[in-house]
Amino acid sequence: MSVIKNKTFKQLLWVGMGSIAMFFAGLTSAYIVRKAEGNWTDFILPEWFWYSTLTIVLSSALLFVVKYKIKKNQSVSALLFSVFVLGLLFAYSQLNGWKELVSQGVFLTGEGSNVAGSFLYVITLSHLAHLIGGLVALLITVINAMKGRYSAVNYLGVELASIYWHFLSVLWIYLFCFLKYL
Amino acid sequence: MSDHHKETFITKYIFCQDHKMIAKQFLITGMLMAVVGMLMSAIFRVQLANPGETSILYNLLPGSWLNEAGVLNPDKYLALVTMHGTILVFWVLTAGLSGTFANFLIPLQIGARDMASGFLNMLSYWFFFVATVVLVSSIYVESGPASSGWTIYPPLSALPQAIPGSGTGMTLWLVSITLFVVGSLLGGLNYIVTILNLRTKGMSMQRLPLTIWAILFTAILGVLSFPVLLSCGLLLIFDRSFGTSFYLSDIIINGEMLHNTGGSPILFEHLFWFLGHPEVYIILLPALGIVSEVISVNSRKPIFGYKAMVGALMLIAFLSFIVWGHHMFMTGMNPFLGSVFTFTTLLIAIPSAIKVFNYLATLWRANIRFTPAMLFAIGTVSAFITGGLTGLILGDSALDINVHDTYFVVGHFHIVMGLSAIYGMFAGVYHWFPKMYGRMMNKHLGYLHFWGTFICAYGVFFPMHFLGLAGLPRRYYTNSAFPMFDGLSDINSIITFFALAGAVVQTIFLFNFFYSIFKGTKATQNPWKSNTLEWTTPIERIHGNWPGEIPSVHRWPYDYSKPGADEDFIPQTVPLKEGEKEH
Amino acid sequence: MTNILIALVAILIIATLVQITRVSELLSELKNQDVNKVTDKDNKTQGVLMLVVGTGFMVFVLWQLVAWNHLLLPPASSVHGAQIDSLMQVSMGLILVLFFILTPMLFFFATKYRGRKNNTAYFFSHNNKLEVIWTVVPTIVLTGLIIYGLKTWDITMNADTTNATVIEVYGKQFQWTARMAGEDNLLGKSNYRGVTSKNALGIDMEDENAADDKLAREVHLVVNQPVLLKFRSQDVIHSAFLPHFRVQMNCVPGLSTKFAFTPTQTTTEMKEQEGQDFEYILLCNKICGAAHYNMQMKFVVETQEEYDTWIATKITLKEKLLTQK
Repeated sequence: MSVIKNKTFKQLLWVGMGSIAMFFAGLTSAYIVRKAEGNWTDFILPEWFWYSTLTIVLSSALLFVVKYKIKKNQSVSALLFSVFVLGLLFAYSQLNGWKELVSQGVFLTGEGSNVAGSFLYVITLSHLAHLIGGLVALLITVINAMKGRYSAVNYLGVELASIYWHFLSVLWIYLFCFLKYL
Repeated sequence: MSDHHKETFITKYIFCQDHKMIAKQFLITGMLMAVVGMLMSAIFRVQLANPGETSILYNLLPGSWLNEAGVLNPDKYLALVTMHGTILVFWVLTAGLSGTFANFLIPLQIGARDMASGFLNMLSYWFFFVATVVLVSSIYVESGPASSGWTIYPPLSALPQAIPGSGTGMTLWLVSITLFVVGSLLGGLNYIVTILNLRTKGMSMQRLPLTIWAILFTAILGVLSFPVLLSCGLLLIFDRSFGTSFYLSDIIINGEMLHNTGGSPILFEHLFWFLGHPEVYIILLPALGIVSEVISVNSRKPIFGYKAMVGALMLIAFLSFIVWGHHMFMTGMNPFLGSVFTFTTLLIAIPSAIKVFNYLATLWRANIRFTPAMLFAIGTVSAFITGGLTGLILGDSALDINVHDTYFVVGHFHIVMGLSAIYGMFAGVYHWFPKMYGRMMNKHLGYLHFWGTFICAYGVFFPMHFLGLAGLPRRYYTNSAFPMFDGLSDINSIITFFALAGAVVQTIFLFNFFYSIFKGTKATQNPWKSNTLEWTTPIERIHGNWPGEIPSVHRWPYDYSKPGADEDFIPQTVPLKEGEKEH
Repeated sequence: MTNILIALVAILIIATLVQITRVSELLSELKNQDVNKVTDKDNKTQGVLMLVVGTGFMVFVLWQLVAWNHLLLPPASSVHGAQIDSLMQVSMGLILVLFFILTPMLFFFATKYRGRKNNTAYFFSHNNKLEVIWTVVPTIVLTGLIIYGLKTWDITMNADTTNATVIEVYGKQFQWTARMAGEDNLLGKSNYRGVTSKNALGIDMEDENAADDKLAREVHLVVNQPVLLKFRSQDVIHSAFLPHFRVQMNCVPGLSTKFAFTPTQTTTEMKEQEGQDFEYILLCNKICGAAHYNMQMKFVVETQEEYDTWIATKITLKEKLLTQK
């Protein structure tokens, strides 16, 4: 029964991530189409976004360690909490990135703004919004781990939170490269 | 799973995780919204037939929608057509159709206890419910509900100065649709994962009823296309509320010069129709799936060309992603792009034709039992033929020049959705009512409902093709501003007559439905002598669907009138006889 | 009072339905039958209804085709429009033929194969040959239709505009304004930021091409002279629909769109054919707000002399902005 539950819940998550990917596909297609029409002020991605990338990649790496440890029935609550903290750091770096953009004169809206900047904010904001969902999921796993809910044979919650978190990392890398190079 | 957790009223009827109850929640909500949507159409049809006059029906509207003489205000006419379209496309034909039948039938027809996640499923209904509350409340805000057409093109939908409904009403519309889409996605996830993973022993994909195949493709369409509506709407929210210029540029509205530059409304149209077109197939495919089942059972014959039918569904689903531009032929797009979309659009006619021919072949040399469900199934095929054929005109870009946004389009999409898909929904309700409620709907009332609806519906929508070919645009408050349309007022009156008559006929259905839930004659376990698994469950529904083990499946669902059999049907659970070959 | 009446009527309808249901149930009880079982008699009745209503439907459609034919738009008054009309005739012919074959077939099968107690259906689950036939044949027909359609589209959209008279059609809530390009056949540049009460279309008067542009509230065209319409919008999406010429093009704020065509029938000629009330008209065909239903502009097609007389009465923008406050 729980074998089936493992399988179906993961598939539910995968299909859901497929939907989220389509949402970003919509935004990035709009970006491409609009950029091709001209009147597009190029921007330089803030340095803080590099730190974002670093943080989130690191957090994903940690999750691999979590998986390794949990399969050996070891406690993972501290590690999970570290991932959560790294997630918060990601959010912090995003906020700083936006501040940096503002100081560069790249605005979401208003006098002196250009649609290129608007897209930049909307896309990164959307990613952050989905990341908040990931933070919630991680927090739940931290609490459950502290309660001793996970073992080598039962760690579906951690798996699901991890898969989603890796998705957010990959999505960020895609968006980062997209915004940087396209 | 005989996990009989103690059921309270709340867990049984309200926050229920049982797919059958969730299905009924979708059905009832969808039906109630259909009444609202239909009343709206009755009201604006009266305005069109009697422009500049008042009417009793206007009493249903908030007072501020009428002028001192009791005549409907022009911008509120647009509010009515907008809300009518929104309610019928999304609330009735998507949630009411898929939400009901996917939820009800998937576990029952594949042999599962429930959906993969009852919790997500329950959430999907409650997102839908809240979306409904938000949408209905938007009708009563002071500036009125969204009024820029269900297609909400900016700048009209972005600027309250352009039309009052684009203020608070439009904001609520966007909130509502966001909740609606999330609810739909939660449902869609479940449908796909359940069908792929929770089939009972012996239920291979090739033994699935066509209804399930149709729902599977519908769900895939939904999870891939609905999110793009969200991204489209997000950019609109930013333009409306945060002063961005994704869709807005070079605008002076009501004397006010707006700061936006660089935006393009056409970008909105691309994103919108990328969902918008698959959406109409999300509406149609489940109806066609239901019809395949109902026609087969009531013809006592296998559905003709099972594999071709699955292939046609797949091809329609795939092609539906690459035709969206046919809604945009007149936007000034590069003519080459227009050619591409004409090509892909006319291609969709091929799998559609295959389905029609297969339905006809199923009826050939059948032994037809005319249940009300069967009548509606045949009605679906008729409307699919009629409406599908006019699609060939609209899909041809050169011809679209003179019929785009005219009543020709209105006729076309109402016949394929308002007739074909709704008839499929009716067929489903009449056919599965015994399974849903353990009682039978009254057959005579069903007959009356069908013929009344069939006649009135064609009476409403067939004449519209002529209005369109006479050049009459859609979304016009009245046709009396142009002398060239004076000759069309008789047709308008005929249409309104049939519309009002058709609306009255629906009361027969509503009465029959609700009366039969409580006072209908009790059903037997398999009243239609059908082969599919849902009819092997007990008449009084239970959690987990089957009291003991879930039955295994030994054959496909279409062994009707198989030579050598004792009866004219062999349920899927019956093992093959000695020497019997599986189809 | 009327509300009470409506409520009474509604109650009456429901009461009637209840009675019908009760009666049918009682009758079946008397006959010791299941009230909702579909009998051979039911099948016969419904089968006959299929035939009758099906025939009625065909008659209804034919009647509409005959009775309302005169209400349809007259033949196109433009060169490309005649091509579109031919394509339309072929396409309509095709779909009507298919409609009148497939729909009667549906109703005929429904009648002929209505169920009878001792009848057995024919177990005919598939036939690959048939599938191939009814896939290949529609494909061939559609390919033909597509090619014809794309050819017509190409002729329409890629018309030669080298000698076309340029006219701008400017849409806003809820009126149209036309701008003739003057002797140089070049329109002056425009910018929405230049719109004032005097300069309603925001023309850049620094642009030398703008000086001889002329504004008007109706458009006059010379018969058989190609014209290139350029469209702009001030506020929301409108659509310039000229049904008699088979012309339609969205007017999108922030973009400019265009449509070229050659009118072939003068207004006078059309008045002789269609009646003295006839006028060519431009209507708005994209929902644009409350008065969307009344956003119109007259078009007149006339001889060169008539046109010259008319255009002489219009002042140039340069004069207009000098003389008017």
